[in-house]
Amino acid sequence: MTVIAVIVFVVAYVLIATEWTHKLLAALGGAAVLLALGVTDSEHAFYSHETGVDWDVIFLLLGMMVIVGILRRTGVFEYIAIWAAKRAKGSPLRVMLLLTMITAFASAWLDNVTTVLLIAPVTLLVCDRLGINPVPFLIAEVMASNIGGAATLIGDPPNIIIASRSGLTFNDFLIHMAPLVLIVLVVFCLVVPWLFRGSFEVDPDKVDNVMRLNEKEAIEDRMLLIKCGLVLLGVFAGFVGRSIFHVEPSVVALLGAGVLVLISGVATKDYMSSVEWQTLLFFAGLFIMVGALVKTGVIGELAQQVQQLTEGKALFAVMLILGVSAVLSGIVDNIPYVATMSPVVLELTKGIPDPTQAEALWWALAIGADFGGNATAVGASANVVVIGLALRAGHPISFWEFTRKGVVMTAITIVVAAPYLWLRYFVLA
Amino acid sequence: MGEQFPVVGLDSDAREAVELLASRRLPGLIVVDPNGSPYAVLPASQVVRFLVPSYVQDDPSLARVIDESLADQVADKLAGVTVRKLMPSEPAELPVVNHDDTVLEVAAIMARLRCPLVAVTKDRQIIGAITASRLLELVVTPH
Repeated sequence: MTVIAVIVFVVAYVLIATEWTHKLLAALGGAAVLLALGVTDSEHAFYSHETGVDWDVIFLLLGMMVIVGILRRTGVFEYIAIWAAKRAKGSPLRVMLLLTMITAFASAWLDNVTTVLLIAPVTLLVCDRLGINPVPFLIAEVMASNIGGAATLIGDPPNIIIASRSGLTFNDFLIHMAPLVLIVLVVFCLVVPWLFRGSFEVDPDKVDNVMRLNEKEAIEDRMLLIKCGLVLLGVFAGFVGRSIFHVEPSVVALLGAGVLVLISGVATKDYMSSVEWQTLLFFAGLFIMVGALVKTGVIGELAQQVQQLTEGKALFAVMLILGVSAVLSGIVDNIPYVATMSPVVLELTKGIPDPTQAEALWWALAIGADFGGNATAVGASANVVVIGLALRAGHPISFWEFTRKGVVMTAITIVVAAPYLWLRYFVLA
Repeated sequence: MGEQFPVVGLDSDAREAVELLASRRLPGLIVVDPNGSPYAVLPASQVVRFLVPSYVQDDPSLARVIDESLADQVADKLAGVTVRKLMPSEPAELPVVNHDDTVLEVAAIMARLRCPLVAVTKDRQIIGAITASRLLELVVTPH
């Protein structure tokens, strides 16, 4: 059974990484084979938190997708982005810095794919008006999105998986990840002018085209905006106050989605069209495959091997997880990577007596996976989405064009993150 | 039931083709390849899709923030472009019927392909076209 579980997992992983088949087909196909061969069963696959589908993750994603599906109809994001571009007075560098910071902030609260889907059209509009190439702007924004998403539990799907597996709360992510993300974003702002040098020339006559955009027109239904704002406040209060309310984030998101559906009056097909069923099913398939590895003892064995390699040295383990995660998340989508690594890290934390240092393993995994997603064009779902939008707009971004910048940005962010982890959890702890 | 209908070549000037569409209020154009054989039907809606920036199609709220004077510039996209560039990236099935097909056969093709215009051929050569409005006229007019 162990051999079958490993073979099925490896084959599915190769198919997901190479995209020889649709990743949903690979994940669900792998899960189906494991169930059909009896490697796992319905009890383990559907009702066990350790070896089956993590319903907290699935329903947290579902709830947030519904909320975002309604929120995006308000036009508030377009309003803010155009307002910022006008405040930048058409200076391409200032436009890039402002739009990337908006993207990073939004990504902390919305999922990264949604954020780039919202920011990319505005960016294409502003660049079109300025008569400049939007490609550097889109690449910088998706990088900012992957960095900003690391700040909170709900910002990036890998964080949701890590939170569910580790028991870390929304506030834990805010306290431990947000400060690092802020530091990295400062560095990001310093690096961007150099990384995208030569992209900021603009014809002064075209600046007026941006100044004539009317951002107020983006908001059509002010009442819907107010309703969304109130529900979002309630949802975030629920996340932050988990220790008081004792309600899981998934339940908070579902309740928020339900309330917003009731009071917004948005048609069912409109908000349901924002639910990415393929993503949710992909997660389910992954959880079943990884669960089979846990059930058959493969994950436990792998964790033991890593423990032997690190010889129980927590700092070495943290840096190893950080580095390996950054590299592997650039090669394969960071969601399957984190789904696989979470049970391994859970085992590793049991071997580290200091709880602060044990927790640092989780932060290393989150940082490596989130920031590592920037390394290549296929490192994160948001990258793939932006490349598709750019292509449709007639501005193709090649794999290497993205990766040349992505590798540099990933290296810089990991170099910033490593001393943060060392200082915070080993020197100053 | 077919009528005479203007055709344009794949390498014709896009602006001239669009002017033809606009001046005669046509639902689309029949596009022929260099051999004169029917290549595709270019619906007017596809021309609109080409002219409207993809970012506005992705996010329709952006259409509201652009003022009318900026919107006037969308036709600039036609400068130096051929009809080939106006065609959808994914080649669609050619809406074509034989000269002796029945009204129902024509309607079936039009409905299945959601196309407002079908080319009528005889011996692989275009002899005319049938528009959706012409088809409806045939359906509702008592014989």
